[in-house]
Formats: sequence, structure tokens, C-alpha cells
Amino acid sequence: MNILFSQFLLQIFFLTIVFLHISKKNFDVVWAYGIQSFIIVLLLFNSFLETQRTSLLLITLLVLIIKVILAPGFFTRLVKKNKLIFSASTYLNIPVTLIILALLTAIAHSNTFAPLTTIIPANKILLSLALSSMFLSLFLTINSKSALSQIISILSLENSIVAFAIFAGLEQSFSLQIGILFDISVWLFISTVFVSMIYKHFGSLDVISMKKLID
Amino acid sequence: MITAITLQYIFLGLISLFFVGAIGSLLFRKNDAVTSLWSNSFAILASLAGLLFATLTYLYGHSLSFSLGAIALPIFSLSFHIDKLSAFFIFTISLISLLCSIYAIGYVTHFYKKYDLGVLGFFYHAFILGMLLVVSSSNGLFFLIAWELMSLASYFLVIYDRNDPSNIKAGFLYLVMTHAGTALILIALLLLYKFTGSFDFETIASLSGAIPLSIKNSVFILAVIGFGTKSGIVPFHIWLPSAHPAAPSHVSALMSGVMIKTGIYMMIRVFLYMLWPVPTWWGLTILVLGSISSLLGVLYALTEHDIKRLLAYHSIENIGIILLGLGSALTFTSLGLPSLALLGLTAALFHTLNHATFKSLLFLSAGWVASQTHTKNMEEYGGLIKYMPYTALFFLIASMAISALPPFNGFFSEWLTFQSLFLGITLLSLYTKWIFVLAAGSLAFTGGLALACFVKAFGITFLARPRSEEIAHTKESSFFPRLSMGLLALLCLLFGIFSGSLTWLLQTTGKDFVAFKNTASFVSVSLNQQVLIGHNFSFISLASLFILFMFIILLVIYITRFVINKNQKISMGTTWDCGTDLTGRMEISATGFSRSVIVIFKGILRPSIQHNVEYHDSESRYLAKSRSITLGIKDIYQSYFYQPLHRAINTVSVRIKSIQSGNINAYILYIFMALVVALFFVL
Repeated sequence: MNILFSQFLLQIFFLTIVFLHISKKNFDVVWAYGIQSFIIVLLLFNSFLETQRTSLLLITLLVLIIKVILAPGFFTRLVKKNKLIFSASTYLNIPVTLIILALLTAIAHSNTFAPLTTIIPANKILLSLALSSMFLSLFLTINSKSALSQIISILSLENSIVAFAIFAGLEQSFSLQIGILFDISVWLFISTVFVSMIYKHFGSLDVISMKKLID
Repeated sequence: MITAITLQYIFLGLISLFFVGAIGSLLFRKNDAVTSLWSNSFAILASLAGLLFATLTYLYGHSLSFSLGAIALPIFSLSFHIDKLSAFFIFTISLISLLCSIYAIGYVTHFYKKYDLGVLGFFYHAFILGMLLVVSSSNGLFFLIAWELMSLASYFLVIYDRNDPSNIKAGFLYLVMTHAGTALILIALLLLYKFTGSFDFETIASLSGAIPLSIKNSVFILAVIGFGTKSGIVPFHIWLPSAHPAAPSHVSALMSGVMIKTGIYMMIRVFLYMLWPVPTWWGLTILVLGSISSLLGVLYALTEHDIKRLLAYHSIENIGIILLGLGSALTFTSLGLPSLALLGLTAALFHTLNHATFKSLLFLSAGWVASQTHTKNMEEYGGLIKYMPYTALFFLIASMAISALPPFNGFFSEWLTFQSLFLGITLLSLYTKWIFVLAAGSLAFTGGLALACFVKAFGITFLARPRSEEIAHTKESSFFPRLSMGLLALLCLLFGIFSGSLTWLLQTTGKDFVAFKNTASFVSVSLNQQVLIGHNFSFISLASLFILFMFIILLVIYITRFVINKNQKISMGTTWDCGTDLTGRMEISATGFSRSVIVIFKGILRPSIQHNVEYHDSESRYLAKSRSITLGIKDIYQSYFYQPLHRAINTVSVRIKSIQSGNINAYILYIFMALVVALFFVL
């Protein structure tokens, strides 16, 4: 795959995270995550084409099933079942959020992180973008008031790490990948149950409503 | 023919015996008698194996190094290095464990059907094993595991009598203090690792030249606080007076007699083996700490009414005396006087052994008294010599030994310590000389006050009339406790009589160190146990002392019999007391005895007196129904160190608590910030 195309895919990936920050509708959030995961599938498939490793193809298929089909399906059903059309707002308003996103992106592109982003010098821009995606996903977890957005932000962080690993050329073993996917499957199941319980108990997915749980 | 392999097998055998003893104690826990027999028999066997191992290692003459298993981690290994210093400590631990285990056979019977003896046996074995591993390990990480095993096992032994809430509190304080100390030890080891790339003690010793002086100084401070906390050095001792009395008496004897010495062992190991050569201020600091600990330890002991707390405070005092020997050794070695340093180290080791014997004996005899009277308050004792004459005799011997009265062992080790300090006063320059003067003065004061304290402890406990009804129901110690205490009393005497030979033997222990290789001895011992310091600097002869004492005793008998009582007819009759019967309330109490000393040292002890009077008639102030006086002693370390520290930590904690908002987003933000900051530092 052409590096420019890879860069294009990663830019879309990055933009999906920015979109997750500004989106107010839960359906849109789920869709953005689906697109993001599909980009990961494309990148993995590209790795398969380059390396011709059958295990990588298997992983690509599993990622497609779990992250692109099952996970968004789970969340869509959850949103429909609980009629959670609109997600709770963020702690910071959109302009401030965008400023912080810009700052985090600048930090990830700074020379301080050069030891990380120059693992493969040819992929420096791609790695910087993947690192920015990781920071932005983490910030999404912090800034979001909705439990659903927080869950998706953690999944998004995981996708960012995979993207970083692909461009850093870090060989990940087959068993490790299978383990991570299994982990995500179980995690999805538990978090769905957990979110449903939170909604039933508090009548909202706004994490602020859980404040009364503290001592 | 002793070989390294034989010694290894004996060592592994003794470890196995402790394992089997610990596991068996848990398996047979349903039957108290069987559990006690199993636990103590295996502890006795293992201790005998320890004594054999230590003796053979001494005779073998070389250091023994070996590893267990084949762990492929570069920084961790179950490795042992046993030189004469380790062998000496193994000998001391095994000796006291042996006698405490014999004592326990009779003593633990009063726990039958009350507490789980299986648990006691399990932690008792783990505790002794932990101590043995501490003094034989040669890898920092393995040492920490052994240290933790010893600390945790002793914690569970402290809270064994869990029905008393004060024991739980004492255990918690001990746990906190010991782990605070361990944290500092860990930092010290990590600092050494950073500059030597190894946790192996031998490697650290060989690469110590590569460690910058500032780091060495930091390690010294961390080690003094870390190991000093375990040893009970003032002001890190606060756990000791409450934890030692809380444990069963044979465990108290082990804790006070040997466990606190593991801190001393590690100080010697780190300062004289791993980090040698050392700066002069290290030795002087140890001397000052030793002086303060010995003096304050004995002063607080004097104010105590709880017999086991009194003994615990004396442990602080004796650790101070050991530190005086160690401090002078460090100072002399830094000033290029290895012969004198060896004398100081010998004094420290000799007092370590002596304190182990007489302090164990004191705890065991006091433990028997407490188990019979069901109280540790000395004010409720009195007249016990009539009910338990053997126990009284053993307590008296131990009291004489700890008060440094010849011919018992305490005298000789304190005498050696004095010689070391006097040599410092004679030979050193003005600035260091005055610290030695202070140390010698403190030791002299300590000796006098310790004597006063044990006159009180023995007199109030065993002499005069009973001050409570419980005394009439007390019984003399049974066979095994009596045997154990008798052997310890005999050792107090033998270690005194053969002090010359022991001094010579302990000097060879020090000569194993690089610091003292080929060092000419400053002490010479003749066949008749005469010890000569330097070229006629001073000498002591047991034979002369014996003749002197016999002469004094005979002189006192002669004067009393034939001079004072000459032409006087002695008739025995009831004591006249203004027509009233004599009762225990008329005797001098422990408080009354120590009051004059408290008044002298009121600047330090800060006594408070509270008078309470209850009247028959609330209107009239003429007829008092009852009067009581409450005497309180202010704990200066609590008031001026721990309480302000506690307040400061509390204030900071309350402020920090505000970051615990209960909001998951905030917690993730903290993680994110920590991650970014960490990346900034690492990259």
C-alpha cells in the first residue's frame, strides 16, 4: 500500500477521534468507532498482503468480526433499547476541547517524543499521528460525561495502539493478538451489562450522577 | 574433616527442620499437647543443628558461599554467604532459640484450649527461620524477603494474644514502623544497585569504590534509620516497648534477645563490609545515637511499672551500648586505627551475645511471673521469692548481669566498651575526643541507673510482702522452664568466667573483614583469662576479681558478725508498726522507688502529678473518703517528634483527600498527566 494512502487512512482515523469529541449523538459515536475499526482492518489487511502471514489474515478477520460488526452492533442495540439517542455533554465546551486537542497533537509531534516516533524514520509522520490519536482517545475518556462515550474512547485507545504498532513495525505474536481480541469480547459483554445497570439504577449514563456513590 | 559440602547439608537440614516444624504445627493443631510437642521438638532440633553449623563454620575457618536452585534472574538469587560474622549471629540466634523452645514446652500449657497452638508454632518457626536467613543471605532482594518473613512472622506473634486490644494496637504500630524501616532499606539497596549494578553483597563490596561519597552518605542515613528502627534506636524505638511485652514470653525473649540484633548485624555488614572505608562522621553519629539510646532507654525503664515494658526499655539501652562499641569501631577504622577498631567491634559483638543471654533470661523469668500472677503490673507483685525461689534466683542473676556486676557476662562486655571509649579519649583529637567523653559518661550513667532499675525490679517483684491476693496462688516454674532458665543463668556466669577466651574468639570474627585483615590485635588474653589492653593501658583478671569479691564478702560477714553485732543479743520478733498489722500497702512501691530518680531527670522525663480527692460530704472539705495520686511521664519522642509528624501527615492527607473526587474522569486525568510527565522524563 502506498504510504500516502496509509497516511490518508490514518488521517481519517484521527478525524474519527476528533469527531468523537464533538459529536452529541450516540449513534454517530458508534458509527465513528465502526469506521475507525474498519480502517484498522484495512491496515492489518495491508500488513497481510506485505508479509503473506496467514495468522495476520486470521487476526484481520477476527478484528473485522469483533470490532467492526459485533461491537458497533452491541452498542447500537444498547442505544436503541435504552433510547439513548443523545449522549451527555463533555466537561469542556467545543472550542476549549479543540484547543486542547491541538495542544495534545502538537505535543505528540514535538521532539520530546522523537524516540517513539522515529522507531522507523520513514514512518515518522504516521507514528506521530498514531501517538496523537492515543493522546486524544485518552483525553476523550477524561472529557466525556457519558459512560458510553468513555467505553468507546477506551476501545478507540486500543485501536490507536494497534495503529501505532503497525507503523512501528512491532511484530505482535498471534497468541497475543488473539488474547487481546478475546479480552475485548469479554470486556464488551461486561461493559454492556454494566452500562445497562447504570442506566437502570441512575436513569442516566452521565457519570456525574454516580457521584453520590462516594463516601 | 569439615568440608563446605558437609556444612551446606547441615544448613539445608536446619532449614528443612524449621519447614517441617512449621507445617507439622498446623497439621496437628487440633491437639494442643501434640502440637506443642511437635513444634518445640522441631525448634529444639533445628536450633541444635544451627549451633552445630555455626561451630563447624568457625572451625572450618573459611567463608561459605552457595546458592539454592537455578533461578536465571540476574538480580535475584537464593544465595548465601556465611563468614564468621554470620556464623556468630547464627550461633546466637540458635542458642537463644534452643533455650526459648525448651522453656516453651512448659510455658505454652497456659494457652491450651484458649488459643490455637498450631498458629503459634507455625509463626514461631517462620520467625526463627527468617532471622537465620537474614544473617546468612548475600543477595539484597533475597535478604529483603527474609527480612519481611521475619517481620511478618513476628507481627503475627505479637498479636497472638488477640483478646487484648492493646496487643492489636501494639502489633499495628510494629507493622507500620517495621515497614517504614523496610522502605528505607529498600531505597538504600536500590541506590547501591544503581551504582554497582548488583544486589549481591560481595559484588557491592568489591565495587564500593565506584559509589560516590554523597550516595554512600545517603545509604548510611537510610540504613541507620531503616535498621535502627528494627533495633529500637531512639527515636525510632516507639514500637518496641509495646510490641515486645505483647508477645508470648518466649517470643518476647527472642525478639528482645536476638531479633533486634539483626539490625545491628546489617549495620556491621553494610558499614564495615560493603561500604568500607567509611567517613569519620558515620562513627561519631553512631556514638551519639548510642549514647542517647542507652541513657534514655534506662531512664524510661526506671519509670515503668509494667515488668515486660521495663525490660523492653532496657533492650533500647543495651542496643545503645552495642552501638557505642560499633560507633567507636567505625571511628577508629576511618582514622586508620584498625587495632582499636577491632577492639570496638569485639566489644559490640560480645555485648550482643551477652545481652541475648541475660535479656532472654529476664524475659523468661518475668514471663513466668506474669503468667502466674495474671498481671504485668509490678505494683501487684511482692514477696514472690517465697513462692518461686528458683525463678527469683534466675531473675537475680540476670539482673546482676544486665547491671554489669562481676563475675557475670554483662560486666566484661561493658568493660571492653569502656576501654574502647577510653582509648578514644586518650588518643583522638579534641573534637572527636569530646564525643568519646560524652559516650563514656553516658555509659557510666547508664550502668548506675540500670543497677538502680534492677534493684527496683527485683525488690518490688520478689521481696517484701505480697501486694495482691493472686500472689498466694502462684507456683514455681515447672521442669522445662526451670531447665531453660537455669541454663541461661549458667551461661551468664560462664560467659563471664571465660570472657577472655570469648574476647579472643570474637576478635577472629572481626578479622574476617577486609578492614581488619592482618590487623595486630590490641587485646591479649592469657591462659588464666586475664585480658590485657594494649601495652599496659588496662587489664582485668578474673582470678583477681574473684579473690577481691571473696575478700569483700568475707569482710562484710566478719564486720557484721564480729564487729557490729559484737556483744549484741539478737532476738526475733514481729515487726512493730505503731500497733497496726503490716500490709503490702505499707511497702515502698515501684513508683515511690523511682520517684527520686524521676525528680533528678525531670527536665527529660517531664513528670506530671495529679491529686484526686473524694470527700464524704460534698459540702465539707475536712473528711476525705479517698485520695489518689496519678503520676504521669511525658514521652518526649511522642510529644516532640511523632505527634507533630502525625499532625503534619494528617493535614497533608486532608488536603490531598480533595483530589479523591469520586469522579472517574478525574482519576483518568491523573493517570494521563502522570503518563505524559513520565514520558517527558524517560524520553
